[in-house]
Amino acid sequence: MNDEDMRSILKCVRCGTCRSVCPVFDVKGWESSSSRGRMLVAHGISQGLEVDKGVFDSINTCTTCGLCEEICPSGASPVKVIENIRHQLVLQGKMTDAQKLLRTEALEKGNPLGESRDRMAWLGDSRNDLPERSEYVFFAGCLASYRYPEITKKTFDILRKFGVTVLEDEVCCGSPLLRTGSDPSELISKNLEQIKKTGAHTVITGCAGCYTTLKNDFPGELNVLHVTEFLADRLAEMDLKKLDLKVTYHDPCHLGRCNGVFDAPRQLIKAVCYLEEMKSNREKSKCCGAGGGVLKGYPELSLELSKNRLEEIPGDVDYLVTACPLCLTNLKRGGPRVDVLDIIDLLEMAME
Amino acid sequence: MQKSDLLNNLQKIVGEEYVSASSAELYCYSCDASQIRGMPDFVVRPASTEQVSKIVSLANDNEIPVTARGAGTGLAGGAVPVEGGIVLDMSSMNRILETDLDNLQVTIEPGIVQEKLNQALEPSGLFFPPDPGSSAMCTLGGLIANNGSGMRSVKYGTTRNYVLGLEVVLADGTVINTGSKASKSVAGYSLTDLFVGSEGTLGIITKATLRLRALPKERSVLLASFDDPELAGQAVVKVLSSGIVPSACEILDRNIIEAINTYDPHIGLPEAGAILMFEVDGTENTVREGIEMIKDACSTLATSIRAASDKKERDEIWAARRLVGAAVSRLDPLRTRVYVGEDIGVPIKELPGMLHKVREISDEFKLPIMTYGHIGDGNLHTGMCIDVLSDEEWEKLNKAADKIHRTAIGIGGTVTAEHGVGSARADYLGLELGKALDVMVLIKNALDPKGILNPGKMGV
Repeated sequence: MNDEDMRSILKCVRCGTCRSVCPVFDVKGWESSSSRGRMLVAHGISQGLEVDKGVFDSINTCTTCGLCEEICPSGASPVKVIENIRHQLVLQGKMTDAQKLLRTEALEKGNPLGESRDRMAWLGDSRNDLPERSEYVFFAGCLASYRYPEITKKTFDILRKFGVTVLEDEVCCGSPLLRTGSDPSELISKNLEQIKKTGAHTVITGCAGCYTTLKNDFPGELNVLHVTEFLADRLAEMDLKKLDLKVTYHDPCHLGRCNGVFDAPRQLIKAVCYLEEMKSNREKSKCCGAGGGVLKGYPELSLELSKNRLEEIPGDVDYLVTACPLCLTNLKRGGPRVDVLDIIDLLEMAME
Repeated sequence: MQKSDLLNNLQKIVGEEYVSASSAELYCYSCDASQIRGMPDFVVRPASTEQVSKIVSLANDNEIPVTARGAGTGLAGGAVPVEGGIVLDMSSMNRILETDLDNLQVTIEPGIVQEKLNQALEPSGLFFPPDPGSSAMCTLGGLIANNGSGMRSVKYGTTRNYVLGLEVVLADGTVINTGSKASKSVAGYSLTDLFVGSEGTLGIITKATLRLRALPKERSVLLASFDDPELAGQAVVKVLSSGIVPSACEILDRNIIEAINTYDPHIGLPEAGAILMFEVDGTENTVREGIEMIKDACSTLATSIRAASDKKERDEIWAARRLVGAAVSRLDPLRTRVYVGEDIGVPIKELPGMLHKVREISDEFKLPIMTYGHIGDGNLHTGMCIDVLSDEEWEKLNKAADKIHRTAIGIGGTVTAEHGVGSARADYLGLELGKALDVMVLIKNALDPKGILNPGKMGV
């Protein structure tokens, strides 16, 4: 381990402030499942701690939600340390079956879901009359393409009115690999090549995982917008009517806390109905429990995290709205007492 | 007893999923926020007094060390199993057992987090006053075992003042109850006081009845800036002798001011050699009067005085102060805060002199030392940040800490005002306590003849 990596681990003074917010620690209760514990385990690995199940369970149960980093008084970056240590272990061939599967599926099939079907099937008939070149390109993402084709179609139907196109052969953005320690460069290059081909200066996505990856992990400075950012700037052109609804909003960690996109989704929601905030929101928002490979690797834990987040829904709202298909998936799994909607579904109601 | 048999027995007591011998888990429980290290053999998370009693009894029969741990936020190694054995992670025993509002009392299990207790009490208008910087994560058990305090101790005192009674598991597994629900009792030796601050060396606290106070109706915060810390020290002496008892009186030196402003830029503390943060609480009238008296007392020494404009600003300043201990690490990416020699206490009159000594020590070792702390009760936190990869800096740090400790003792002070002795400061107890340490050893031997309870701590 180089000095820089070691210093980033030792930046943690073990004060334990992260114990008060880590959603995984809240469920598990063992020190190794808190951010402080993971920093210690990372240190242990550098000192020769044997990499066994206990080590994997510590390092791999972090959802990379970043709430610990948000409040860390000493300025440590546990998410970076954890992603880095996952990467170091994978380089040594040390990974769990879930990590292996994610990597194999993503690299071989272009998506971590193991889907071999036509990724762009959601486009339906519209795929034939799309412009090859455009200033804006929509990056749908794996989960949206395969699991939420209707939402994805609705999203694109709104976007295409503004001249947005799609990639010819989109593949996974690489986020699941990056979060779980594998090398996504093959996927990144393939997507980047196609983005260049469209001539687009801006990539738009509706997925928080794709958003942070496109924005922070793709080489060069790609201009990336979340669908909510793109649409919030075009509210006047959207002809939305007011709905007699009260909703609450779940901030996806990789959209909100990691990239500061808090206002655009709220602007859209407030344009169509009444918004009541969840108990924790914006920078302090609790994780849905799916990120960082946790849904794939630790589905039961992920479910508990989802349930805890759902407890923060305020009393009398009609819907829980979010802006990421992965959050949507896990919040639905948790058995919410109100329906969970993608923000596009809400907007569509206001367009009818 | 073989390790595997011990594991089986522990699993029988608490259930398989609450015992761990995984190397990752053991590594995580091998330290707290201090520099002390010790690898446990097992970590156990008990759920009841009965389980604790059985575990301790098993350990006693087999002469295995047992170290109780709350949230592991300690700064002296108190929860570190320096001789191995079993770590009892008490944080799962976190229920509020009885809230007796009419008697201003609450009975709790030791694993409850300070802030969560106060959040639960807030609707009833009551609170548990001891308020350490770690209140968001530290447990009541840890606070009691270390007699912790914090920013409001200048007015409200330390945890000891709020413990009416305890349930304690002794070294042989016997469960005793100390104290009384009556607010005064002189029946027998004050065993409650003996266990408060005993750092898990005499017994394991499994229940506590606490005295509560009514939440004050008003609070106000005043910031006074000074050219240097010594002048601030003089102002504190003046304020306290003027008859006002602030609910907090904190000092921040130049570097700490910068650390707070770095952590949360929009707080914008004024640049100064030192700032005193006063808080006054009570009724509207007493707060107004208190603030005026503090302003008067500081007027000839301070360069500027300002009050927090509203509740939001007050809360932000306080939240930032709470985390400053670790936030000093933000000043330089290459340096990390190391908690060594960080908790001296001196008589109030000696404060300006001690602050001057700290500065001399800083110059002597060419090591920046940041000073903050509860100056209102003579408790100074000296913060040192070093490049943790440099052996030379570690050596300087330890030498400076040693000098700070000896200087404090030399002027009638203490090596630890609130963080505890643990292993980190155990070597100074002889110097500070003299023959009184021998009495501590006698008590320890009487209550824990096999020496299984948190061995290697407190000089006993």
